[in-house]
Amino acid sequence: MVRDAHRLEPDEVRDGDPIGNSDVLRTVLGEEAVERQERAIRAGYRPTRRQLLRNLGIAGAAASMPGFLAACANSSASSRGGQGNFPPHPGWKFTFINHVTTNPFFQPTIYGIQDACALLGLPTAQFVGSENSIVSEMVDKMNAAIAAKVDGIAVAIINPTAFNDPVARALEAGIPVVAYNADAPAGSNNRRMAYIGQDLFLSGQKLGARIASLVKEGPIAGFIATPGSLNIQPRIDGAKQAIQASGLPITFTEVATGAKVEDEKSAIEAYYLGHKDLRGMVAVDAGSTQGLAQLMQKYNLPAQGIHAGGYDLLPTTLQLIDQGFLDFTIDQQPYLQGFYPVVQLFLYKLSGGLQQPSDTDTGLLFVTKDNVKPYLNTKTRFEGSSSKEQVVKAS
Amino acid sequence: MSEESAREEGRGPVSTAPAIATDGIAKRFGPVVALRGVSMHLDRGEVLGLIGDNGAGKSTLIKILTGFHQPDSGRIYVDGKEVRLRSVSHARSLGIETVYQDLALIPGLSVYHNLFLKRERLLHPLPFLANQEMRRKAVDWLREMGVDIPTIDAEVARLSGGQRQAIAIARAVYSEARILLLDEPLAAMGAKEATQILDLIWNLKQRGQVSMIVIAHNYAQVFTVCDRINLLRHGTISLDRRTSEITVQELTDVVVEEYRRSHQSA
Amino acid sequence: MAASTPNGIEEPGQARREAMALRRAAGSFLERRWASILVVAVALAAYFAVANPAFLSGNNLLTIASFLSETAIVTAGEVMVMICGEIDLSVGFVAAMAPFVMYFVWNDAGLPLWLGVVAGLIVSGIVGLVNGLVTVVLRVPSFVTTLGMSFLLNGLTLTTTGAFPIQAPEQGTRFAALMGHNQVAELGWAIAVVLIVQIGLSYTRWGLYTIATGGNLLGASEAGVNVRAIKIANFILCSVLGGLAGILLAFRVSSIDPSAGGYDIMFRAVSGAVIGGTALAGGSGTVIGGFIGALVLAILLDGFTLQGIQANTFDLILGAAILVAMILNVTLQGRRQQGGQ
Repeated sequence: MVRDAHRLEPDEVRDGDPIGNSDVLRTVLGEEAVERQERAIRAGYRPTRRQLLRNLGIAGAAASMPGFLAACANSSASSRGGQGNFPPHPGWKFTFINHVTTNPFFQPTIYGIQDACALLGLPTAQFVGSENSIVSEMVDKMNAAIAAKVDGIAVAIINPTAFNDPVARALEAGIPVVAYNADAPAGSNNRRMAYIGQDLFLSGQKLGARIASLVKEGPIAGFIATPGSLNIQPRIDGAKQAIQASGLPITFTEVATGAKVEDEKSAIEAYYLGHKDLRGMVAVDAGSTQGLAQLMQKYNLPAQGIHAGGYDLLPTTLQLIDQGFLDFTIDQQPYLQGFYPVVQLFLYKLSGGLQQPSDTDTGLLFVTKDNVKPYLNTKTRFEGSSSKEQVVKAS
Repeated sequence: MSEESAREEGRGPVSTAPAIATDGIAKRFGPVVALRGVSMHLDRGEVLGLIGDNGAGKSTLIKILTGFHQPDSGRIYVDGKEVRLRSVSHARSLGIETVYQDLALIPGLSVYHNLFLKRERLLHPLPFLANQEMRRKAVDWLREMGVDIPTIDAEVARLSGGQRQAIAIARAVYSEARILLLDEPLAAMGAKEATQILDLIWNLKQRGQVSMIVIAHNYAQVFTVCDRINLLRHGTISLDRRTSEITVQELTDVVVEEYRRSHQSA
Repeated sequence: MAASTPNGIEEPGQARREAMALRRAAGSFLERRWASILVVAVALAAYFAVANPAFLSGNNLLTIASFLSETAIVTAGEVMVMICGEIDLSVGFVAAMAPFVMYFVWNDAGLPLWLGVVAGLIVSGIVGLVNGLVTVVLRVPSFVTTLGMSFLLNGLTLTTTGAFPIQAPEQGTRFAALMGHNQVAELGWAIAVVLIVQIGLSYTRWGLYTIATGGNLLGASEAGVNVRAIKIANFILCSVLGGLAGILLAFRVSSIDPSAGGYDIMFRAVSGAVIGGTALAGGSGTVIGGFIGALVLAILLDGFTLQGIQANTFDLILGAAILVAMILNVTLQGRRQQGGQ
């Protein structure tokens, strides 16, 4: 039987005798624990290794609870080794505030964030916000991030005024802020440092021009998930403007469809059935575009000479373009909308502010039947259809 | 009997009219005839036991006396004066209170809040409840009536069936009722609790301020507190006897005999 | 030290009396319905504070106040409606509509902004009146009534505003700060509303009758309580508080948004009410409990965001946390009921 403590004879106690690893003890349990151990030693007790391990175990268990959640959050503030030419740097934590966190459109964005963070040796940035474009929820979560003293924030500014204060407060707290996917309107007081995304109004204009050239005359409906939302409203505004500028005899009507992918489809179908004289339809967000494409297929509308187009590369949308039911869709490269903000914020931190974030257009590409094949034949992180890291052959 | 008349004489020239009386009350619900001509009376300070089978019309009679239903024909007299009881509140204003089987108690409220329901004391001139005052008064009342409950703050939901019945009766009594109608107060109660309620009814009778009609099924229990029995059968009063003039066994025999007779003739 | 009385019974000495008084005080604390959920709230706060030192920072406490304040105000109204046995699903849409009414009165009719606020509250009250009348007089279950009303209000708001958000008026002024832009002011509103409604519930006849209506509808009306008036009054209260919350929200984010509020805030309010001890079937509950329930939700939403939880795992963890909080609450409540006879 092993005795737990060996009582020292008076002459066995030596001052400064290292019993346990007091450095470890100090870090894990604090100075008090070290003092306790020293007092115990002076009283004549010599803690066994088992007791030491037990102390550490208790401390470890207590410390690991937050660690469990931290694992879920991939957070860690420890220093990272340098990548490429970069020197070792702290593991800066960035937070992305989003308006439709469960919308598949942003899956490539999340992959872009992950890849950029891994590339630069950062913990994966946090991606939070609202599921239904609820502005107050986004504002609240941004405030929480500011309180958490994160190192950088990227926010989709979907409301013209609600984000002015949070952005200002973040900047005052020394946190760099960029906008992605949606930007504050021109002339706004918002002090975000840069916008990374598509030029929304311009893309809308191009959309409008194209559909006008296809339809030439008659009524056109434009479907928008949440009117007024700054990530999509400018597109439909641009479309309307381009259609009017074309001078063609076309009437354009804006129709709201709601933010959830399931609802958008029903709303579009219901509108069409009530307006069978439509000659063209456009949608300005991923979900509406998919719903529109499915509608075109269901009633075989291309056979009636009706044209339609929209945005983004949901798998169903791409398939239906390939099959000829949808005329075109616009790729805004959401992967880059996650990748570039991380890089810009990283460089800002690394350079101590010498490198400022800059407005970056993530692109505007029309995807039609002619060039849709490569998108279909691959499932990649760039489209959000696969989480596999791969090199994609050009085609 | 002689005690009662002595008491009444001692009070001087007081009306000896019954507290409440009916003459030929009839009531039907569609094809169903509930009451066929009920003529009964309840004397001052008396406890009248109303017995009969389920469906004999006891509840209907009570609801008519309490103003909830209007009779199709017949008259009602309160303190000797003919009245038409227009509504429950009207009956209440005449001093007629009913304690129903569901007790009309609020489970989530305390005992004293239940006792004072709709008659709350306020901290004048502010519209706030005078809880302390109501608590004190409630404690006094319940002690006077010999009702035993753990604490005046207890929510009624936590009390036993017997305690709740006692609270319901206490509430009716302390609302200045002069005529109390108790609809099956002893239903679903164990012997011990039934005894407590019977004691309570006895106490009330002794104080002489309330006249009561008690609907019950257990003849032995009824006999312990009632002065008189009315047997309601087929919508009329078929038996009216003082409890001093008949025994429980005799009453049972009469009831059984009637039952047999009516079934033979059916 | 104990002293003996003539008949030999020991009187409790000073120390023992103090101990008994303390135990009685603790007992009366635990007797409170909301004691258990307060314990849960404190435990959660302690957990998050240990997990992240920023949790207790002034900045974050204000953020928690943001997550909490508007929801708490709606919770107060929802608690009253639920206690009398009904529910209001439309309150979130009243919250969306009220600031628009305020805006139209101020912008289009040119009246002072505070009058606009009053107008918004009055219109909210009218919605509550309609909810109450349809439920009580036409005997439509309140679930259905307020569900229909929620669609109606949503459509009304979207069509009259063209579904566009508007900038909130008088930015940067003291009025705007008082009406919600300042987070402390907003918290002040929430606390004031909770206190006033709780006092109403505990210390007025209207509160008693609300509990009576929910606890025993038939019995209460037999006892003479005007149960119809009580229900209608509580519907009106709930809608007015919803309108107030909506106006405060609009000033806080400086934007009047037609998609604000909605079912989101209503579910949070009802959840807060239930977590805080209000029975879904009616008849019991406290506004303070609802406030603490809303606080629990706010702590969870803020704490997990602070921890860096990703959106996709957020709901998973939030749901698990709410379940755990409720289980703890129910367990503690069970102890309370056993001990409290």
